[in-house]
Amino acid sequence: MELTVDRRWDLVDRIAKETVEVGVYRPSLKDALADVTVRPATGIPVAIAVIYGFWMFFCEFAGTLFTDGFFVKIFDGHWLPWLQEVFPFGLGNWFYELMVDAGHMENGVLVASDNCFEAFGVLTSGLFIAIGVVLPAIIAFYLILGLLEDMGYLPRLAVLVDTVLHKIGLHGYAIVPTFLSLGCNVPGVSATRSLETRKQRFMMITLLGVFIPCGAQIGMMQDLIPAQIGWVFLTLLVGYLGVGWILNKVWPGGESPEILMDVPPYQMPTWGNIGRKLWIRVSGFFKVAVPFVLLGCVIVGILYLTGAMDHIANALEPLLTNVFGVPSDTVAPLVAGFLRKDLAVGMLEPIEMTTFQLFTSVVLLCIYFPCLATFALMIKELNWKEILGCLATLVVVVFIFGGILHGIGTIGGWY
Amino acid sequence: MNKILLMGQPNVGKSVLFNRLAGARAIESNYPGTTVDYTKGHLMLDGKSVEIIDVPGTFSLDPKDRAEEVAVKMLEGEKDAVVVCVIDASKVERGLYLTLEVIEKGYPVIVALNMWDVAKGGNIKINAPRLEQILGVPVVPTVATRGEGLRELVVRIREAEPVEIEEILNSVGGNRSGTYS
Repeated sequence: MELTVDRRWDLVDRIAKETVEVGVYRPSLKDALADVTVRPATGIPVAIAVIYGFWMFFCEFAGTLFTDGFFVKIFDGHWLPWLQEVFPFGLGNWFYELMVDAGHMENGVLVASDNCFEAFGVLTSGLFIAIGVVLPAIIAFYLILGLLEDMGYLPRLAVLVDTVLHKIGLHGYAIVPTFLSLGCNVPGVSATRSLETRKQRFMMITLLGVFIPCGAQIGMMQDLIPAQIGWVFLTLLVGYLGVGWILNKVWPGGESPEILMDVPPYQMPTWGNIGRKLWIRVSGFFKVAVPFVLLGCVIVGILYLTGAMDHIANALEPLLTNVFGVPSDTVAPLVAGFLRKDLAVGMLEPIEMTTFQLFTSVVLLCIYFPCLATFALMIKELNWKEILGCLATLVVVVFIFGGILHGIGTIGGWY
Repeated sequence: MNKILLMGQPNVGKSVLFNRLAGARAIESNYPGTTVDYTKGHLMLDGKSVEIIDVPGTFSLDPKDRAEEVAVKMLEGEKDAVVVCVIDASKVERGLYLTLEVIEKGYPVIVALNMWDVAKGGNIKINAPRLEQILGVPVVPTVATRGEGLRELVVRIREAEPVEIEEILNSVGGNRSGTYS
């Protein structure tokens, strides 16, 4: 026999009456802390402090301590010169170019590179990007994310941003997929399953795919343009909220319903769990991302060697230079970006352009297309109409953002 | 018994329990909706390896989102599974609702009263033996994060049996016995 909803609740009540005794509750330090972090007057400053602290740790730990202080020295000072010495064939050979160093022309002479950004071989740039820059970034990000997750801070943040996100048709809980996406878009997109309506899921997935850079990409951006990265985030945030607002108006599916969300009590994180999660996520990165970075290097290398890249660059030059105001050389990173965004950002470094063009390219790389892994999951999670909607949004956003940035650059005289 | 399903509301610690029982690696966090797809692992029971599945959290068997749909489909697809209903001991009523639903569907059930420490800290007393008497299924207090009660939970899984809801309706409000712990 199955009970009706009312009769079942009635039975629950009767069972509870007999078995549960709720004593006097004594508020503890945890409750005080919980109060401080959700009340807007104190919660917003706390949230800003938490995010700022998160960012500083990310920059200092990943960027300064490991990448600059350790890996740059190892890769540029020892690994690259050593490979240049012992690897057979030498400069000018196609295999050497693919694996170690493509070199560059100086006064008509092919010269060897002196750093791993410019060499562009699988064993040099590929490994440097994957291990020297992205790995420390991933570790730093997931260490702090794990702490925030286990304490139970994220639901509090969700409560705080609920009002703002409701204006764009999303629920405060959207902060969870967004935060996860800042590590990697793939688990971020999966996490949208907790949202209630199809419309919310579609909007959230679109916004994540278009505007949220992943941890690997952020690590590279921080390494490449530390002074401008704040502007990149601001541009993306404006897009996230603005496009969200528009999508909410134009996409059918009605208003966003109120979801009741549990805010769990704060818990003391255990190092065991944080360590285990960090390990699962970092080893996942190694298994999936590193091969893709190296594969990306090979594919781009082959496109260059066969001259295909030049054809693509020539074909897209009018679009890139006239509409977006960036050099046609950025086509190579845009191609690589389909596979790995971190690799793509790294490929911008050797291209000659102004700081503003570099900034524009970094923003375009973020929004022009999600990486393949994310796109594959999007196809799984959305129906064809939603995928078309997502792609249409993407194209419109790229042209509007690229055009506006080009306009701003022209007015500012930054070319 | 060929499969064990871990079911319960979001954020009651199913993934923690799962990792402890199966020695597996599901991501654990302190917010609802950490698990949106199921994770499988294995547990040694009486020298035999039994599949154990960490099911996404759900408030009821009437799904409200995609993650809950996964949970309900999982349950419907495993007709001869034993269900470990994980209840947050500080919010027993809500967990009982889902537990009753699962019992009504005819599944053998065992209840893990998890977060026993949180309930105690909140000065909530639960009479587990009496609850066991009323439901007619094993009820085991656990603190999954510290591994407390897990051995008893595993040992008693084989006591899980289907119960008729009428029996529960009859035994509730009956003779009071057992002690508050």
